[in-house]
Amino acid sequence: MTPLKFEALYQNEWQELEERLDVALKRKVADKTAQPLRGERIAALYRRACEHLALARARAYPAYLVDRLDRMTADAHQVIYQQRELGGAALRRLVARDFPRAVRASSGYVWLATALLAVPALVLGVLVYFRPGLILSVVDAAAAAQFEQMYSMSAESIGRTRDAGSDWTMFGFYIRNNVGIAFQCFASGLAAGLGSIFYLVYNGALFGAIAGYLTERGLGSTFYSFVVTHGAFELTAIALSGAAGLKLGHSLLAPGRRTRRQSLVHAARECVVIVYGVAAMLIVAAAVEAFWSSAAWVPSAVKFAVAGICWLVVFAYLALQGRHAG
Amino acid sequence: MARDVLDTVVAAETPEGILLELRPAGLSVRFCAFLLDWLIRLVIAYAAAIATVLTGAFGVGFWLVFYFLLEWFYPVAFELGRSGATPGKSIVGIKVVMDNGLPVTPAASFTRNLLRFADFLPFMFGAAIVSMLLRRDGKRLGDLAAATLVVHRPQRAPKVKLEGVAPVTPAVALAAEDQAAIVALAARAPTLTAERLNELAALASAVSGDAGKAGPNVTRRVLGVAQWAMGRRA
Repeated sequence: MTPLKFEALYQNEWQELEERLDVALKRKVADKTAQPLRGERIAALYRRACEHLALARARAYPAYLVDRLDRMTADAHQVIYQQRELGGAALRRLVARDFPRAVRASSGYVWLATALLAVPALVLGVLVYFRPGLILSVVDAAAAAQFEQMYSMSAESIGRTRDAGSDWTMFGFYIRNNVGIAFQCFASGLAAGLGSIFYLVYNGALFGAIAGYLTERGLGSTFYSFVVTHGAFELTAIALSGAAGLKLGHSLLAPGRRTRRQSLVHAARECVVIVYGVAAMLIVAAAVEAFWSSAAWVPSAVKFAVAGICWLVVFAYLALQGRHAG
Repeated sequence: MARDVLDTVVAAETPEGILLELRPAGLSVRFCAFLLDWLIRLVIAYAAAIATVLTGAFGVGFWLVFYFLLEWFYPVAFELGRSGATPGKSIVGIKVVMDNGLPVTPAASFTRNLLRFADFLPFMFGAAIVSMLLRRDGKRLGDLAAATLVVHRPQRAPKVKLEGVAPVTPAVALAAEDQAAIVALAARAPTLTAERLNELAALASAVSGDAGKAGPNVTRRVLGVAQWAMGRRA
């Protein structure tokens, strides 16, 4: 069969498929007179077009013909096989099931990340508490003085320097800063986990040193009442992002029975679910930190009570949610 | 994959047994796209800063959130759009797809753009540059983990225009590939100068029985063979 005869014979089918694809891919606004989008018709025409493409290639038909069939089948392939993950249902599934399950599936990494965050914090905390001078080996003198001022009894808003902006400004700052750090903590795990280890240990050590220093200065009550509520979300989220990074790095170092690349792709698919959850938790943490933790008018007792509930809710959610859901 | 071939085309097979040809974009074109996106983001960030700082503390908070979104989610938002490309990529004619040729999924786009930070290490996108130069499919680390591919948008092949050319029966037996080569020359004819077309047609002059000759007449006869191969008969 000559190219021209081939084209003349199947022209109508191709044109119908192309028109239906244009509508399905929203390249063209469907006019009211057009036939409704019928999936089974597209699928049938697609299979025909696949046959025609195979024939056209085998018979070395001219490039424009092969090209047209190529584009047609590629478009149909997209319409038929594309995965839609966005939308309310996917979001609900993520919160109700996928995120806590992904965390539990990586529990080994979560415990390791928690240890990498908590052990340096405890060590530095105890060291600085007994030898306050050591704070200067972590931060400089000006920063140490600033921390003292931020958590002093007379501060209007706890946890801020006097010239810091309003609650809204701080909310923006916490989001940009904390979510950014969590993302970096996860991504740098690709370097054999080293980046995640660095971020976890560094942040843990910094937090521990400041806590030890302020406790020694007698500012413990304001400091702990400030950090304890949003810490439920923030510290957990940082540990989780580190855990995801460690998992990513481990998948490269020890791919098991997969190739390194397959192993990485597989791990990344599981880790990204954790990172979704981490981002959501940090947004909650930023809101709590900006509008609740800093409020000096709330008595410490109330803050500790609310914080207790928050920690309980976070742990219960991660440990129990979605165990039986279908 | 044969190591001695320069062509970097990646074939993705569909369940129907059709091979989709994907042409990975290389370092230079992706660098141009990156530069354009960087400039666009800079302009947006400045414009937003001027607009929001005027509105006081709430505006500053809003700007910080906006800047954070711009920093991490600018590529994600555009890659999930219909074109599958950020404005910079669109301009230079490349887009992001999955390894199997499908549109990039939200999870994959998020992954590859999060891991941009790992690609940045140790400095100035060192990891990304090394990875893209070493790999035939030009993937950076984020693409590897997300199973995505940055490809050139396919370009339409020119339609064969041979109106008014009289078909010529070939003087020798032509295999399918030979016919395809002659038709491909005919398709390119409108984009070539007359002299160059004559030169190329002279190389194929054996098909019309004019071996060793050249000139406009020979060219017309070679194009006539293309007309014949397309299926028109005298």
